[in-house]
Amino acid sequence: MVVEAPSEFETQDLLINVGPQHPSTHGVFRMVLEIDGEVVKDLVPYIGYLHRGAEKLCENNDFRQGIGYMDRTEYLAAHNAELSYVMAVEALGEIEVPERAQWIRMILCELNRISSHFMFLGAFGIDVGVFGTPFIYAWRERETIIDLFEEISGDRMMYAYFRAGGLAWEVPANFENRVREVLASAQQGVKDFDGLLTENEIFIARTKGVGFISAEDAIEMGMSGPTIRASGVPLDIRKTEPYLFYDQLDFEPITANGGDVFDRYIVRLQEISQSIDLIGQCLERLQPGPITPERMPRMLRLPEGEAYIRTEAPRGEYGVYMVSKGGNKPHRLKVRSACLSNLQVLKQMSVGQYVADAIIILGSIDIVLSEVDR
Amino acid sequence: MTTDETNGEAVEETPPDTFEGTLWPDVNRALSAVDVRPERGALDLIVHLPRKDVIRGLGMLKHDDELHFDYLRSLTAVDNEDEGVDVVYHLYSVSKNHNLTVKTTLANEDKVLETATTVWQAANWLEREVAEMFGVTFNGHPDPRPLLMPEDVDLSDVHPLLKSHPFAEIDVLQGEGLGHDRDAPGDV
Amino acid sequence: MAITPGTATTETAELAVAPPETASEAPPAPEPMMPGEHPNEIPALVPIVPQPGKALYRQALPGVMQVPADLVLAAARKSSLWPMTFGLACCAIEMIGTYMSHYDLDRFGIVPWPSPRQSDVMIVAGTVTKKMAPAVKLLYEQMPNPKWVISMGACATNGGPYTRYDRVLQGVDKIVPVDVYVPGCPPRPEALIDSFLALQDMIMEERSTEGRGA
Repeated sequence: MVVEAPSEFETQDLLINVGPQHPSTHGVFRMVLEIDGEVVKDLVPYIGYLHRGAEKLCENNDFRQGIGYMDRTEYLAAHNAELSYVMAVEALGEIEVPERAQWIRMILCELNRISSHFMFLGAFGIDVGVFGTPFIYAWRERETIIDLFEEISGDRMMYAYFRAGGLAWEVPANFENRVREVLASAQQGVKDFDGLLTENEIFIARTKGVGFISAEDAIEMGMSGPTIRASGVPLDIRKTEPYLFYDQLDFEPITANGGDVFDRYIVRLQEISQSIDLIGQCLERLQPGPITPERMPRMLRLPEGEAYIRTEAPRGEYGVYMVSKGGNKPHRLKVRSACLSNLQVLKQMSVGQYVADAIIILGSIDIVLSEVDR
Repeated sequence: MTTDETNGEAVEETPPDTFEGTLWPDVNRALSAVDVRPERGALDLIVHLPRKDVIRGLGMLKHDDELHFDYLRSLTAVDNEDEGVDVVYHLYSVSKNHNLTVKTTLANEDKVLETATTVWQAANWLEREVAEMFGVTFNGHPDPRPLLMPEDVDLSDVHPLLKSHPFAEIDVLQGEGLGHDRDAPGDV
Repeated sequence: MAITPGTATTETAELAVAPPETASEAPPAPEPMMPGEHPNEIPALVPIVPQPGKALYRQALPGVMQVPADLVLAAARKSSLWPMTFGLACCAIEMIGTYMSHYDLDRFGIVPWPSPRQSDVMIVAGTVTKKMAPAVKLLYEQMPNPKWVISMGACATNGGPYTRYDRVLQGVDKIVPVDVYVPGCPPRPEALIDSFLALQDMIMEERSTEGRGA
C-alpha cells in the first residue's frame, strides 16, 4: 500500500519522534519517523535505553547466579531463557539430566509460550486500537498460568526454577490436574480471541497487506520465530534441531504464506493451540522419577570449552554462547537475542506505509526491550 | 579453546582427531583457497580463519552449493585479554540444516576487520554492537553509529565488555541516605 | 395588558402548572403564604428558633459537615491519583498486572494515563539507565504540581541486580525526589497496592503543604 502525495501541493517532510515513553511502544524504544503527510519515508530506530549489561555481569557471577540474569533478559518467557542457559552449562560440563526433569521442563516452557503469546495478543489489540477488551482477556488467561507457576516455583515472573542438571525442587503433588485445568482455561481463551479478532472486518482491513517481508529477505536479515514462519519459512528449532524430547512429539511448524501483520497474528494464535496439544502429549509421557542427577556438586566448575545452544523461545531463536576457561564463572556469555535480529527489519517493512501502520508493524514483531538491549 | 574431551586420568596420547562425521570435508573443500584450522566444539564444528581471509571465506561458505550457509545466526566477540579479541560468527543453512562456527583472532593493537554486511545483511546491527562493546572497527560498515551506548555523549573510548573495563562501585549503601534531598530548594 | 395575580385565566394557569388533573395544587394565591402554610412546602425550610450551644447553620442545614479546606483537597487528591504509564522494564509487567481485573487498581481511583501533563503520580517501574535518565527527568518536569513519585522495584531504588554496571543509574532518586519505595524484584501486585495506600496516607498527613512545590 504505497501512497504518493499529489504533485500540485508543495509539501515538507516532518520529523516525528516516537518514544522513548509512548503508550504504544512496548518498552523504552525510540524511533524517528520522517513522514510526508501520513506516509512514512524513513524510519530510524534507537535502542539501548534498557542496556543493563547482563552479559558483563554474568562474567562476575557463577553458573548458578547467572540464571537470575537470564530470567530478566526475557521476562515474559523466563523459562525459555533459563532453558538455553542451563542447557549450555550442561553441554559444557557434560551433565546428564534425568527424564522426568526434561519432560517437566518442556511442559513449563510450552506453558510459558502460551502466556507470552497471550500477552502479545493483548498488546497487539491495543496497538490496533481495540483498547481494553483483548488486553483484559489476555491478562485473565495469564493470571491462571502465572498462578500455576507461583505454586511451582514461588515467583510470578522470575522463576529461577531450572538448575544445571534438572530442576530446583519437585513439582507439587497435584501438578497434572492443575496443568489440565490451566489448559482448559487457555483453550477457552483462544476461542475468545478468535471470536473477537480473527474475522473482525476492521481488524482484517487494518492488518492484511501491511508490513510485508518476503521469505528471502527474512532469511537474509536473520529473523526467526513466528515472524519468519509467517513469511512461509518453516524454521522452528524444535523441529529442525530438536532439543529435550521434542523429537518424540508429533507436531509440524505452523506457517503462513502472506508475510504480513495478519499472518503473524494468526501464526501466534495457532501456536497457542499447538502448545496446548504438545503439553497434553507431554503429560501422557510423564513418569515419576528423580529430577536431579545423583551427584551434583554444589559449586560447578566447568572445563574449558565453548558452546552455542539455541532454543525456540516465543519470539524466536534465543541462543546462549558460553565460553568457559575453567573456573566457576563463564569467561564470556553472549545472549543471541531474537528480538534484536527481528527489529532490524522494521525499517524495511514500514517505509511506504502509513504512520498508524508503522505502530502495528512494530507491535507485530513482538519485541521485549530487555532482550533487545540486554 | 581446547577440545571438550575431559582429561581425567588419561595418560596415553589421544589420536589426532580426523573430524569424521562433521562438516569438515566439505568445509575444507570450500575453503581450499584460504588457510583454515578446524576444532571440535560442544555441538558444532569450529573453524579458525586468519584475519585477512575472513570475509572472503564467509562469502565462499555462503555461495557454496553443498554448504549454502545463508543464515547468519550470531556475530560476537570474546576478549581474551593479552591474546587479543576473537570475533565469532555462527552460521546456519536453512535449506541443508547444518551449523558452523567461524572464528578469527585480532591483536589488541590492531582491532580492525572488514565488514560482513557484504555477505549477510543481518550483520548490520550485530557489528555495531561489537564495535562499541569491544572497540573493533569494521571497515566499510554502512552505518557505524553506536547501538546501545548513548549517541549524544562522546563515549568512543569506553568499551564495556572488555575485561579491562571495571565494574561500577556502589555509590550509596542502603541506609546511608537518599541520593536526592527532598527538602532542598531546587527546580522542583 | 398586565397580568396581576388573581386575574390569570385558567388557560395560563393550566400551562404554567403541570398536570391539570391534580389541579388542586395550584390555586393562584391571593396573598403570599407564610412558610409552613402551603401544603407542598418542604417542611425543613422552616424558620428555626435559634438554640444556644450549636451554630445556627448547623441547625438550619443538619446534613452539612464542616471540615478544613485542605482535608477536602487532600481527600480528593488521594482518591483520584492518575499514574503516568512509565514502565521501563520487567516491573512494568507487574504494574500492568496490578491495573488488570485480578488485582484491580481502578477501585482506588487509580487510572493509568499516558500523558505527563495530566497525571499525578509517576511510577518508575524498572531500571533507569544513563541513556534514559534525561528522558525521565524531562517527563518529571513536565508533570504539573502536585506530583508524587513511586519508585517500584529494586532497580529504581538503588540499581538492583544491575547496580555494578556503569551504564545503569544507581537508583532513580539521584534525579527525581521519590516519595515511596517499593522493594521487590519484581514487587508483587499486592506490594504495589500497599505502596499506593501508603502514598494516600502520606497525602492526607501532609495536606497542609499541598504537595511538593505547589
